Amino acid sequence: MPNDWEIKIVEEKTIPEGIEVICGLPDVGLVGVIAAAHIISKLGLEEVAYVETDLLPPIIILEDGLPKSPVRIFGNNSIAILSSEIAIPSEIVSPVVRRIIDWAWEKKVKRIFTLGGLPVPNRHEIEKLKIFGAASEDSLLKIIRENDVEVIQRGFLAGPQALILKYCSEKNIPAIALLAEAFYNYPDPEASSVVIQALNKIMGINVDVSELIEKGEEVRLAMRDMMRRTQSELARMRKSHEYDIPGYYIK
Amino acid sequence: MSMRRRRSIFDLMREYMEEIENLADEMFERLMERPSWDVTSQSLEPLCDILVSSDKVIVTADLPKVDPESIRISGISDDLIEINAKMKVKVNFEDLGVTHRRGEFTCFSCRVPLPVPVDISRAKARFRKGILEIILPRKVGYEIKVE
Repeated sequence: MPNDWEIKIVEEKTIPEGIEVICGLPDVGLVGVIAAAHIISKLGLEEVAYVETDLLPPIIILEDGLPKSPVRIFGNNSIAILSSEIAIPSEIVSPVVRRIIDWAWEKKVKRIFTLGGLPVPNRHEIEKLKIFGAASEDSLLKIIRENDVEVIQRGFLAGPQALILKYCSEKNIPAIALLAEAFYNYPDPEASSVVIQALNKIMGINVDVSELIEKGEEVRLAMRDMMRRTQSELARMRKSHEYDIPGYYIK
Repeated sequence: MSMRRRRSIFDLMREYMEEIENLADEMFERLMERPSWDVTSQSLEPLCDILVSSDKVIVTADLPKVDPESIRISGISDDLIEINAKMKVKVNFEDLGVTHRRGEFTCFSCRVPLPVPVDISRAKARFRKGILEIILPRKVGYEIKVE
């Protein structure tokens, strides 16, 4: 069983305390990953930190011939965005997310947003995608509702979003999950654009999504291999649990 | 004299299921360890999904940048179909941000093994939002009358 201390967040630039953190980890439709990449590009964020651990597969990203960690943090003085360019093996999702949340706690982050998708089997028949939300504490649900995001009243959540909410709740870090209806197995830039629009409202930022929608086919083509790798990890994470109807209960 | 515990039918079933699961995992891993593209045939392998219900099998495939008129679906056997589709524009590695490989792609191509036999002659297909959906009715067996 891997230990948290085997995972380090190496800061290459000074990251101020009290910033807001956005997580876009590989999950259904790669909604969070695509959204994170788009926000990083639109806000011109630079690499500020990376995740260092021997628990990840022996893979590096080469950028201009130089090695980079596949799990990195991009940011400026007010925002830090965490994303991964590889599918994170299901068995290390827990320790990696736990370490990131510990780091966020040490950094006294103001809020954490986790972006993702909510799989729907008939996704290709849906014209207008709905967005749903959940949070680590009661007071944040009001913010979610005020910004036209429907709160998930009851249901299962599996994978990185579930762990981020759980660990943030334990550490009293305000965290919001924004999940758009999405394809389970196919990259879904349209769902990413819906998530970004909700984030724009809640955070008071202005990330234009028109380019993401226009270049949707290119994004789907480019994300094919990452989606393929993520599919097998989703199955191992029992992601289909999200389709399950929770058992009978009395309110 | 040592006593050998007789394994129950449930133990045997569990072992058998574990064996099948391991084999499926192994096959999946092996399938992953090859490229999703083929420079010789200039083809990309699309992402596919299969859903089996009581009366039909639904196969979907993500086909970005494809010309809908060019999509061809062939039934190879009652449990294997082939999908071919031409792209509206050629795509090369550089378009995908990769500069150390050579080659360009003009189409999507794949064979999809189906988990149950289907009646290909009654299959229907549609293409919406870049997703191909093929609905294949399952083969009907003999009906058993309930007395």
